[in-house]
Amino acid sequence: MQEVRRKFVIPGDIVVEGNSRPLVNVHKSGNNIIASRIGIAEVGRDGAKVIPLSGVYIPRANDIVIGIIKDHSSLSWDVDINSCFSAHLPAQDLFGRDFSPARDDMSRELSSGDVVSARIATFDRTRDPILTVQDKDLGKIPFGELLKISATRVPRLIGKRGSMIQTIEHATSTRITIGQNGLIVVSGKNKDGTQLAIKAIRMVEEEAHTSNLTQRIKQLLGVEDNVQIDSKSRSGAPIDNDEGHDDSMLGDKNSVLQSESESLSRDQ
Amino acid sequence: MTQTRSLIDENGIRTDGRTGNQLRDIQIKVGVIKNADGSALIEFGKNKIIAAVYGPREVHPKHMALTDRCLLRCRYHMSPFSTDTRKNPAPSRREVEISKVIREALQPALMLEDYPRATIDVYIEVLQADGGSRCAGIAAASVALADAGINMRDLVSACAAGKVDDKIVLDINDTEDKEGGADMPVAFMPNHKQITLLQLDGKLNSEEFIACLNEGITGCMKVYEVQRSALMQKYFGNETELKE
Amino acid sequence: MSSSRRSTIILENLRKNQIRELIASGKRLDGRSPDELRPLNIEIGVIKKANGSAWVKLGNTEVVAGVKVETGEPFEGLENKGALIVSAEVLPTAASYIEPGPPDEETIELARVVDRGVRESEMLALDKLALIPGKIVYTIFVDCSIINMGGNLFDATSYAVVLALATSKIPVFEIIDEKVVDTGNIQDPPINTIPVSVTFARIGDSLVLDPSTEEEACMDARITLTTNSNGEYTAVQKGSNGFLTIEQVKSAAETAKIKGQELRLKFQELTTTGQ
Repeated sequence: MQEVRRKFVIPGDIVVEGNSRPLVNVHKSGNNIIASRIGIAEVGRDGAKVIPLSGVYIPRANDIVIGIIKDHSSLSWDVDINSCFSAHLPAQDLFGRDFSPARDDMSRELSSGDVVSARIATFDRTRDPILTVQDKDLGKIPFGELLKISATRVPRLIGKRGSMIQTIEHATSTRITIGQNGLIVVSGKNKDGTQLAIKAIRMVEEEAHTSNLTQRIKQLLGVEDNVQIDSKSRSGAPIDNDEGHDDSMLGDKNSVLQSESESLSRDQ
Repeated sequence: MTQTRSLIDENGIRTDGRTGNQLRDIQIKVGVIKNADGSALIEFGKNKIIAAVYGPREVHPKHMALTDRCLLRCRYHMSPFSTDTRKNPAPSRREVEISKVIREALQPALMLEDYPRATIDVYIEVLQADGGSRCAGIAAASVALADAGINMRDLVSACAAGKVDDKIVLDINDTEDKEGGADMPVAFMPNHKQITLLQLDGKLNSEEFIACLNEGITGCMKVYEVQRSALMQKYFGNETELKE
Repeated sequence: MSSSRRSTIILENLRKNQIRELIASGKRLDGRSPDELRPLNIEIGVIKKANGSAWVKLGNTEVVAGVKVETGEPFEGLENKGALIVSAEVLPTAASYIEPGPPDEETIELARVVDRGVRESEMLALDKLALIPGKIVYTIFVDCSIINMGGNLFDATSYAVVLALATSKIPVFEIIDEKVVDTGNIQDPPINTIPVSVTFARIGDSLVLDPSTEEEACMDARITLTTNSNGEYTAVQKGSNGFLTIEQVKSAAETAKIKGQELRLKFQELTTTGQ
């Protein structure tokens, strides 16, 4: 097991002295690695980083996000993705290459106030993010309740290999679509299930940095503690031995829509 | 200006009961404005000041955006009821100058190159003023910026020192500001040990200058403890140690 | 020139529909009934340098009002009365779409409606606040700083103004050798009545009291009514670009009187006990 040292930090705190590779949310000053954000500092064999506990969502190419349509120009929709930049969804993405503003009516597909799930097709330092809904399961979300959490808590909400979110979905009979930007849509057949799911999500957001969170969530949902819902194992398998560990804060991020990248090795 | 009456008594006690190197009471609450990305309320002596941060966010109008880094905009503003005499709500020249020096005090701490084409807007609103409001404002803004999750090299702490009755004292209050011999606000990055704001209003010789500066920096380090503690309290609450 | 424009708050359609459906069945998003106020928290005397102050939290909306008393010339045509000036500023801290700058038409309307409710109710006996009629009178400034927008600025701001005034301590000025002198004594303000403002939003066919931000984002129209201790209406303002039916206006007026009296009793308690 890799030796990893962790502690709470605020900007300016020394994460580690001496030679260590600076990963994310840290900067080098003299011979030290300094925290750039409030969060949990981690020093391991591959380097030093800070897992942030606050901060606006900064777009990244290939992230799956949820957005609200604000407006449209003649060639694309303007989408609010709860970030520091507006995103754009080209009309051609829905209508095809031969889209013509004269003939095709954009509001027929998407109008102001609609909620969509999309992938960030391109984004770099010189222009606004461009979205696409071409992939499977992307596009307008017609039903459900939208809520917003801090984007920094999304990895914890997803959990290791999706375990946290799936626990919540199964216990409340809901389908939860999570955007890396912190926007989430919960849809369920019955109101109580939906409200319970929302309560659980808020609890994860609030207590993401604490230990034994999974236990408390399961308690809230009325799920037995020794049942682990894991898409890869048979149901009823005994728990992993990492219940006390909060390393799902850094766990691999598998959004419900199955995207792959490691959310915390951001190069922001 | 030259002092006319004595502001420190024979026991070394100042007009508000403090000794020469005593700081006024400070309290900081983080996250007080729900709509802002980061915020803090500071009570520094009788100063009552709110700082709110929105950002990084889109720049309007778009042509004002910088291509290689983030814009930083800062406004220091006093509510009409915040001062002894009612203040006209329109921005005064004093508020314009203070907005500028505050922006320049915070800028070195922020990693603006991480957010090109965006802006970070810092709003400092003085609800009650009592000497040293720009320092209190900087201290609150710094905490609000960290609360907003903006990449920072360090927090920025701030405190004023001054000359009263020919003695160098820490953290001058409103009366001492108006009637005393000199007022020196200082802002300081506590870990990087860099000064980001320094002003002098008054008259100091060389020794007094250095003494005043040192006193101001000492004050900044004390303010830093309060800033740090407020942030730790909000984010980590009672979990002081991370359980492995 | 006033122009209609796109709403600054983007509320997603999922939420708008949810709110409309709930309201049509008599329920609200936060579980309130149609004529229920959000939690109201008022702290008075928070700004010690001001002659009076109040910090109001109505749901998520937060407003601070401060009273400053000076002397000056009377208004034209009101030579025997003290001058009352009510202003409001929505601080850029209050929401992401607020930009610093001079007040816009919404803020000016807000300040004027709040002022009207206080002035027309004759809350302050201004005729008792003249020093030399025609020349020097008490000038009472009430300034409001809106710190966080959470919906229903009209009522939150009005409550802050009314409580700051009602709990203020006014310096006693005298004319000595034709100059204004602060005697150093203080007096209670001459209060005739406590005006109370009540605001409704029309969503579909229903009226809801004390709308939240989300409810305001899908409302069709709004109406604010201010009543005094005698149950008389002293200010009314219909807002937003939709319409109200005659029945709706009458119903709102009735409820405003009743709710107004409920709140008035609470405010009176605050002014006497200071809690």
